[in-house]
This record gives sequence, structure tokens and C-alpha cells, in this order.
Amino acid sequence: MPHDLNLAVLVSIGQHPKSGRARRAEQDARAVELGLKLVGERLELLHAGEAQQEVLRSYLGMGLKEMTLLEQPSAGDAVPALGRYLAQKRPDIVLTGVRAESGEASGMTPYLLGEALGWPVVTRIADIIKVENGEAEVLQALPRGQRRALKVRLPFVASVDLAAETPRQSAYGPGRRARIDNASVDAQQDQLRSQWQEAPARKRPKRLKVAKAKTAADRFKAATAKSQASGGQVLQNESAQEQAQALFKLLVEEGVLR
Amino acid sequence: MILDGLLPVLITMALALLVIGAVRRINLWRAGQPESVSLIAGLMAMPRRYLVDLHHVVGRDKYMSNTHVATGGGFVLSLALIVLVHLFGLDSKILAWALLAATALMFVGALFVYKRRQNPPARLSKGPWMRLPKSLLVFAVTFFIVTLPVAGVLPEDFGGWVLAVILLIGIAYGLGEMLFGMTWGGPMKHAFAGALHLAFHRRPERFGGGRSTGLKPVDLGAEVLGVAKPSDFKWNQLLGFDACVQCGRCEAVCPAFAAGQPLNPKKLIQDMVVGLAGGSDAKYAGSPYPGREVGQAKGGPTQVITEGLVNPETLWSCTTCRACVEECPMMIEHVDAIVDMRRFLTMEKGNTPNKGAETLDNLIATDNPNGFDPGGRMNWAADQNLKVMADVKETDVLFWVSDGAFDMRSQRILRAFVKLLKAADVDFAVLGDEERDSGDVARRLGDDATFQSLAKRNIAVLNRYKFNRIVTTDPHAFHCLKNEYKDFGGDYEVLHHTTFINELVKAGMLKLDMYKGGTVTYHDPCYLGRYNGEYDSPRELLNELGIELAEMERSGFRSRCCGGGGGAPITDIPGERRIADMRMEDVKATGAELVAVGCQQCTAMLEGVVEPRPEVKDIAEIVAESLVEEVH
Amino acid sequence: MSDLIRRDPRQEWIARNRLHPQHAELIAPAAETRGPSGLIRRNPHAVGFIGPNGIKRIDRLAGNGPQLGQRRGGAKAAAEVQLPLITVVTPDFYVVAVMDMVGGRLTGHDKDVLGQAHKLVRESDGEGAVVAVVFGESKEEAFDKAGVDRLIHLEGEAYAGYSPEARLTALSVIESQLKPRYWLFPDSINGGNELGCRLAAKLGERPATQAWQVDSSTAVCRGGSQRIDITRDTPRLLLLAEECADPIDETRHEVLPIELDTMPGTLVRIEDRGQVAVDPNQIPLAEAEFILSAGNGIHDWDQFHKAAEVLGATEGASRVAVDDGFMPRFRQVGATGTWVTARVYVAVGISGAIQHLQGIGQCDKVVAINTDAGCDMVKRADLSLIGDSQEILAELIQLVEQHRQGGAEDAA
Repeated sequence: MPHDLNLAVLVSIGQHPKSGRARRAEQDARAVELGLKLVGERLELLHAGEAQQEVLRSYLGMGLKEMTLLEQPSAGDAVPALGRYLAQKRPDIVLTGVRAESGEASGMTPYLLGEALGWPVVTRIADIIKVENGEAEVLQALPRGQRRALKVRLPFVASVDLAAETPRQSAYGPGRRARIDNASVDAQQDQLRSQWQEAPARKRPKRLKVAKAKTAADRFKAATAKSQASGGQVLQNESAQEQAQALFKLLVEEGVLR
Repeated sequence: MILDGLLPVLITMALALLVIGAVRRINLWRAGQPESVSLIAGLMAMPRRYLVDLHHVVGRDKYMSNTHVATGGGFVLSLALIVLVHLFGLDSKILAWALLAATALMFVGALFVYKRRQNPPARLSKGPWMRLPKSLLVFAVTFFIVTLPVAGVLPEDFGGWVLAVILLIGIAYGLGEMLFGMTWGGPMKHAFAGALHLAFHRRPERFGGGRSTGLKPVDLGAEVLGVAKPSDFKWNQLLGFDACVQCGRCEAVCPAFAAGQPLNPKKLIQDMVVGLAGGSDAKYAGSPYPGREVGQAKGGPTQVITEGLVNPETLWSCTTCRACVEECPMMIEHVDAIVDMRRFLTMEKGNTPNKGAETLDNLIATDNPNGFDPGGRMNWAADQNLKVMADVKETDVLFWVSDGAFDMRSQRILRAFVKLLKAADVDFAVLGDEERDSGDVARRLGDDATFQSLAKRNIAVLNRYKFNRIVTTDPHAFHCLKNEYKDFGGDYEVLHHTTFINELVKAGMLKLDMYKGGTVTYHDPCYLGRYNGEYDSPRELLNELGIELAEMERSGFRSRCCGGGGGAPITDIPGERRIADMRMEDVKATGAELVAVGCQQCTAMLEGVVEPRPEVKDIAEIVAESLVEEVH
Repeated sequence: MSDLIRRDPRQEWIARNRLHPQHAELIAPAAETRGPSGLIRRNPHAVGFIGPNGIKRIDRLAGNGPQLGQRRGGAKAAAEVQLPLITVVTPDFYVVAVMDMVGGRLTGHDKDVLGQAHKLVRESDGEGAVVAVVFGESKEEAFDKAGVDRLIHLEGEAYAGYSPEARLTALSVIESQLKPRYWLFPDSINGGNELGCRLAAKLGERPATQAWQVDSSTAVCRGGSQRIDITRDTPRLLLLAEECADPIDETRHEVLPIELDTMPGTLVRIEDRGQVAVDPNQIPLAEAEFILSAGNGIHDWDQFHKAAEVLGATEGASRVAVDDGFMPRFRQVGATGTWVTARVYVAVGISGAIQHLQGIGQCDKVVAINTDAGCDMVKRADLSLIGDSQEILAELIQLVEQHRQGGAEDAA
């Protein structure tokens, strides 16, 4: 890892899915963890949003002495301010979460920043293996725990997936003592969003299994198939070999034997 | 006699060394943080604390208590008389005879100490402690002989120079051990530090039959939260560590030690002594932390304890069951020290092991340790039609539901208790969604910030309403509400449900059938028993049902922990056995078919033992089953 | 044309005319025959006939009415009904849907997105065509039934593996060539979300994300942590949640290929170095797709570990196995351990405590290997093998090893 690698991590205010209370966002915290692994305390922590939110200290409690706050009104658009700030600071790598935990949560921030800065964007990374010769080797998270290796040119923006290393615990004391610096930036209102209506999430109707059968017999089958299948097959008196054969067959059918 | 000239010199030298050592030792303690104690009142109270309170604990072992009275009493008396007779040369036959009697008494005591040390139990430390009975004997014998001429029993020039030299060696050795060693780190240190520890104890309420078990709050504005280095302890805590006699009673009762987890309360206190004085634990001669070698630990007053002196796993093994504190004849506060160090690990280092961090995050974000929707706290009672404080504002009994509300097993206990409350026509209400975790787990895991936040918000809610008493089925919440909320302005009358049901039964409010079933034993929850002294109500209640309890060998104040306290299931430090399994063995040894419990955590831990095993039921459930329901 | 149901007036006439010599022949086999025991047997399947609309009708006239269905001619009755083909000759506008194509096939999510595309077409004025954009190799054969009017299939080196930059260039070309009225993407972790966001950033569009109820005027989007719904005007670019609309299932479409203009070159700054071999035991339990889980009933732990290795399964454990120290704590499955989502979960020697069953609630196929046929795990399992786990695992290891060797030989 080059010792002059500059790394900025953008963090947001998370939201607990059950209580809705502000918290350290899970993906952002993983981004901070990854940043700490790469450059330690030199990591630059950035937040664009409302002033002095106590929750930000839970990121600082991971072992950082200070962070920069780009103050924005609550309905502000953070991306232009972030873009200008980063264009001026020019870090080598910018890490973000994949999606915010509250609000619109469009997941657009890394892409918009990448577009604004003209940098490549790598999504859903699990780890950065090494950085050398102006290139980074990155592990991208794929579904089901699989990984893909990528090589990206610096500088770049990367969003960090939940598959990245679990973030360290935030310690109360250091978090409370750390400094939050205000960087003065132009606030920008999010015009479009003010026209939207927000409401607590409605329960989405479960899609019914509509029987598109053409005959009554097919419809009957479709309606009753589930209950027929609910009882599992029990092999009790077969020999161990036959039983193993049955299990083997199931594994092959399901395609989990590679 | 030849010694006449030398003896005062020797004694003066020994006393001078004693004083120098004492000053040095006191300075070691003064490296700790200030804590105001009343010096004069403490010193005045000290004899009583020693003779009554301390001997109340020591007296659980009659052999040792008598031995100690003889040896210690004999020694203190001898020393005073030696100063008078041999140093100041008061030529009084009476004093000389008194000194003879005192040394004889000490000799007899020392003989018993010697006998005890012939085949010492594993819990006792060896090393210098094996030397002590011999030193005591030498001290007693030489001063006895030296005093004989003074008493006029022997001629002044008895024995010639050979005896004189032998006596001289004996006196030097005896004085060295007893006076020099007392303040320079020998086994006799316990007498000096112990006496002062009793005088300046951090919890003076414990003396005179009182009880003080609530943890002390952390000043969240402090520079360092919790204890990082030995010098971060309060000075009287350091003094307390020095008072340890290494008798190992704590080790014998520690559930984590028995389970092979890397904790030994005695070794921990000795490591604290190593820390405050600086050095390594190479001289420690007792049982190690299970699975850890002795001799590797190094520390100093300003070195971080968990970096080299004590492994964090040791601290996280503790279930805070307080068995060690209850058993300590020196009234040392092991649990306070452990939690103080945990506070540093959690609040400064962010190093709570295993599920600790997740639990704390959940407590912060959802006010319950498992991250359930705080709005679902009343779901368990959907069919119970309970009154909620927000509606009624005023009630006689406030039922503190605790986090058992989220756990299906605990809900059975809650329902049983509600059934009893309704049967007895008690005017009660619950807080509903306004209730939060009591903060018990957060506090034991060292996160006092979260505890204080929860406590303050709970108190703010409680103070909005009028009620006479709080009743809860959870001893942990009971302890917090009763003892630990006081520091934040919450002073309530809190009852455990067994106490309350017992009251109801005694007042004839509940009609109960006799219990029909097999043998029953009762497991004392630590936070009900040792923390709050409630041993009788649950037993009385079970007696009311016609149950003859088959008591376990370890019950009452000696009850063994279930392994569920202090966040131990969350930090989950591996051992060789599980504490719950050992407790279930205790239960099985009584032949009981049912173990009655008064705590949902104990219920969960004991029911986690692989079947076949005796059934586990909360007392509320047992009583509710025996309830005669009136048909209207 | 032969599938069209035609009435045969002569046969109907015979059916009506009970005196016709062929009448009995035509009517009798419908329902009743005399069984071997001499009793009259009624075949319920033979009751009724298929009506002209393809729906089965039962004639309560007991053979006294005309039995039309008989005339569709034996085997043809079961043959698949040919769905009507929808053609768009000269589309007024395009709705472009970019497909995930996991494993070269349309996913359920893709089909939902195509369904949504048609919904938007229906609600708009003019005749629109749904364009599916497919990158890489395709094994899909039923684009027509999924509602694809036009297909843009981009294959070749440039689009293989992870190639977001090349794909984005292609999408830009489509943008300028077709000027789609809507861009639709599945908001999925299989690439749809990523491409959608990239294109949105490039076009300067503000996309609707996690949109789950969309019509031509408003879109309802799920916000962060699934806690809020945002109702907004429907933008041009939409990232659609699963089950946003019903997939197409009653029509066929043309699947006409569209040729794109020449592609400009792409500056590739992200280089795909290929998928990394992941040790199944390194996969977090919650994500693993195949778990072999051990409980109290395991006695030969070496064999268990070997079995997991041979099968390529991630190891899990019950609480008891963890408590007893045979498995590390992070392997514990259940409400108090990890909630798993495996497709196949094999529980060896686990009786199934309620917390454990809670933890495997989302698993597709559960297999129990246990000595106790009455335990709760067997009740939950789709396949239960009652017997000595050691023997069964030994046999299984052998089978899999044979299978592997066979496979290797085939490959050679």
C-alpha cells in the first residue's frame, strides 16, 4: 500500500430498520473499516448534511480524531457540494456505501460523484487487496458470497457492500472527544424532491399465484399443489446407500454440487 | 543478657523499616484517583468492622476464624507489649507476663496455621504463604524466650551466647517477616493493608449489616472512561487489592473458574497488586487462570492493564454473580474492578467481544438488546387487556415487564404473573412501549454511556406517573431500578415478583392449591439473592404451596450462578464446561424433578441444558398453576 | 390452424340423436364403464369436455346434450395452446428494458420489468414497442412469451464478464438511436441497479429507484430501510423493484432484432480479472447457498468436515454442537445464531429446536439426517433420511467422489 495514498470515506446518517432511529449506517461503517485498514487514521471522513448530528460521532468512535462536515439544509442535495469538495481535495479513492438507509436511498451518490469528477465507479466492493502503480486490485461482492477480482485505475469511487469486513465497534469515549470541522460550502436545495410526497411504507401486496391454467383440472392442480408438496419425503427403511443416493439426487437437481 | 543492647536496636530498625515501607506503600495507593472518604471516622470504625463485619464472613469457616483470632490477636498484643517491654524497657513483671501470654496465644494460633498448611487445599496460595506459619512460630517462640528473663522466670544470663545468637537470628527473622514484610510486600501485608482497607472501604454501607451492590456511575466527561491503568482505579480500590490474603475462597466459588474459563478472581486481584506495584506475576504461587501460564504477565501503575497484565478474556469471563465478593473475608470488590476495566475496553477501545458490540448497538438504536421493534413491546400482551400508564397515569403497582416481553419463553412467565395479579385484584398497569431496557446488560458490558442514557430516559418516563411500587419478574431490572437508578434521581420502591406474590398470599389475596408433583429445588438468582438479599420470599412462597424444597448444596448466598449474568452469554468466552451445565448437575444431585427459578435469564440458561434434565419453571408459573380460580 | 376448435355439425347431430347407430359409441366412453368386478366405474376425468374458449365444461345433461369436446381429437386436447402473437409494425416510441440475464436466462425480475414495460406502453398514446437489451451469451428461448417486441442482443468480448463501461457506451448509443420514452431496469444486485444508476448519472436523469407501483403519471418508490414510500412523477428512467408488475403470459411477441449504429470505442478503466474461487467455508453463513449443518447427533467430526469439503458445502452447526465446543460460535445457525437463506440445508443429527427452525425458515430445501423419525427437523424437512448419519455420510462422500471422478473423465 503506498504510504501517500489518500482516501476519503463519505458517511451518512443511517437508520435502524425496526425503530427508525438514527444510527451508524452499516455499509458506510464498512467503508470506514476498509479505509482504516488501508490508510489508518489518515483517512478523511466526510459527511454532507445537517449540522452536528450526534450519530456522526459513532463513526469517529471507530478511531478517528476528526471529520469534515459539509453543512447542508435537511432537504439539501449533498452531491454538488461533495463533488466540489472532492474535486478540490483530490483523494485517490473515495468510498461510500451502496445505498443510504433513510430518505430516497437511490444509491446514486457514487455514480453522480464519479460522473462529476470523471472517475471510474466500482460498485459493491468487498475489499481492496492492494494499490500499486496507480492501480488498485479490488474484490467485488457477488451474490451468494462469491467474489470477482477487478483492477481499477486511480483515482476512483467505490461503493462498499455489506459483504465487506464487519466494522469495528464504535467506542463512546474517543467518538465524543473527536472533532467535527465545518467546511463552509454552498447549500443547495433539492428542488425536485420537495414536490414528492413521502409516507410510511405501505405493505406491498403479496403476489398471488394466479393459476393461468386453461382447464379446471389444471386450476385445481395449481390450487392444491402446495399442500400436496408440504409433506416431506421420509426414507426410513431404505439402506444407507439408497438414502445417500436420494440425497445425492436432490443435490444434483438443485445444482449445488459443483 | 547479651541481647539486651541489641534488641531495642533491632526493634527500632524493624519499626523504622515498617514506617518507611508503609509510606512507600501508601504512596503506591495514592497513585490512584482521589475518592473522598472520611479518614477519622473510617479509622474509628475500623475495629468494629474488623471484629464484627469481617469476622462474620471469616466465621463461615470456624477453624480459620478461631485460628486467626488467636494468631492475629496474639500478634497485635505481643507487638504492643514488645514495644513497651523490649524497646522502652519498662521493667514490669505484669507486662512481661502479659507478653508471655500473648506470644503463647500467638504460638497456639500459629500451630493451627501450621497444621492447615501441612496439606493445604488447592485454593490457597503457596510460595511465601507456606513460610508464614513458621515465621509466626519463630516470632512467638523467640519473643517468648526473650521475655522469660524479663518475667523473672529465667536468670538474666541464661543460655550463654549460643542461645543468644540463635535467638538473635530468630528475632531478626521474626521481625523481618512480621514488620518489614508487612509493608514491603510480604504475606503480612494483608494485616496493614487490610486494616486500612476496612477503614477506607469504598462501600462503607456494607458494614453493619447493610448492602451496597449497585455499580458506581462513570463520569462521562472524564478524560479516560473506565480503568485503563492501575492508577485509574480509585486509591482505596488499590488499597483493597493489597488487602488480599490469597485465601482463594473467591476462586472456590467462581463459576467461570469452575467452568475452565480464563478467570480466577484471586489471580486477578494479585495481578492488580502486580500492576500497582510494578513487576511481573512470576512470584504468584496460587492457581493460574485456567488455561493460562503464570509468569508472563507484566505491568506497572501507568501501563495499560489489558496490554500485558490481564488478558481481556479474563475480564469478559465474569458473570458478575458476586459470589467472590460475598465470600471474600477481606471484603474486596472484585466485580467493581472487573466492570471498571470492562468500561475502558468498551467505551475507549470499542472492544466488546463477540455479540457484545451488536447488543450495544441494538440497545442504542432500539432500547432492547436484540434489536426488536420498540413499538412491539406490548405484542405479548395483545390478549391480556393490560392498563397502560400513558392512559391511566396513576396506579398502585407498576409492573415492569422487562425485555422478557420479546422472548417467547419469558412471555409465559409474564402471562403467569399477570394471571396472579388479576386473580388478586391488584390495581396495576404497565408502561407499554414507553418502557426500555433497564440498562443492566449495557452497564455490565462496560457501556455506562448507554446505561445512563437508558436509565435517564426510563426515569423521565417513570417520574411522569404516580404509582406506589414497581414490581418486576426480572431480577436484573429489579436490581437496576432499585439500586442503580438512585444515582440518576430515580428512587423507587421496587419489589421482585416473588416478594410481591408472597405478600399477596400472606394477605390471603390468592387461593392456592397444594402443589402436586415431585421433588422441587430452588435456584437463587444472583441478582435477587446476593445482590439484594432476597432469599426467603421465594422459599416461603414455595412452602405455602406445600413444597418441601430439596436444597442444593450451593444455595442461598452461596448459590452458583446460572452463567447468564454480566453479559456472559453475549461475550461468550470459551471454557471447558458450561456454567449452566454445572448448575444443572447441582440440581440433579438433589434428585429434584423441577427446579424453581425467579429469573427469566436463569430460566433460559437452565433450559438450554440438553435434555433429559429436570424441568425449569419460574415461581410465578408454579404459583399460577396452583391457583384456585374462582368461578363467578 | 389445426388447434382452432371447430364444431363438427354432424357429430353434434349424432350426439343429439339417440337413435343414431353411432350415438352410443360417441357418448358412452365419456363417463362410465363396467369394471373388472362388475361394478359400474365412473371416470371423473372423462366427465365434461373442453369448451371453445379452452375452459372445461361439465355437461349436467348426463349425455343428453351434445358433447362437443370429444371432437377436438384425442391427443390434440392436451397440446399447448398457441398464444396470440402481438405485432408492432411501426412503433411510435420505444420502451427499453435492460435485462439482468442471470445464467443467460431471463430472471423472474426481468420478466416483471418487461410486464411493467408493456403496462407503460398500454397507458401511453400511440403504439409502442418494448425493446429488451441483452448483454452477453443468451440461452433464453422464450423472449417471445416474456413480451419482447424488439431485441438488442450485444455479444462479444467487450460485453463478457464485468464490463459496465462498455455496456454503458452501448446504452448511450441506444439512447441516441431509439430515443426511448422510458428506460427500465430491474433494481437488482445482478447488475440492473448498477447499469441503471450509471446511465442515469450519464444522462443526468433522476431515476425512480425501488419503484414498485408505476403508471405513466406517478411512481411509488420504496425509500431507505424499506420504511417510507415516495410518490413522485414517473421519470424517464426507472429502477424497478421485484414484482412491480405482472409478467406477460397471455401473448407472444415478435422479438425482432434491432441493429445498432456503430459503437464508439470505450475507455476501459475497470478491468475484470475473473471470478475468484471462494472456499465455501469462507462464505458468510447468512449468504451461503448450500449448508451442511451438524448437531448433537454427530460423533465422527472428522468425517463431517470431510463431507462438507467433498460436497463443497458451507459448515453450520446447532447451538449444542457449538456449546460443546465442536464448532466455533459463528457457525451457529438459528434465531440466536445466524439466520440462513441457503437453497439446500442439510441438517445432520439436529433434532430441530424452535430457535433453529426459525433460523432456517428461509431455506428452500431442507434435508434431515437423523435417527429419530419423530423429531421436529424431520417434520420440517423436504427429504428425511432416518438412520445412522455416519453411514449415510460415508455413502454420500463415496457417491460424490465417484461423480467428481466421472465428471473429470467426461471432461477428459
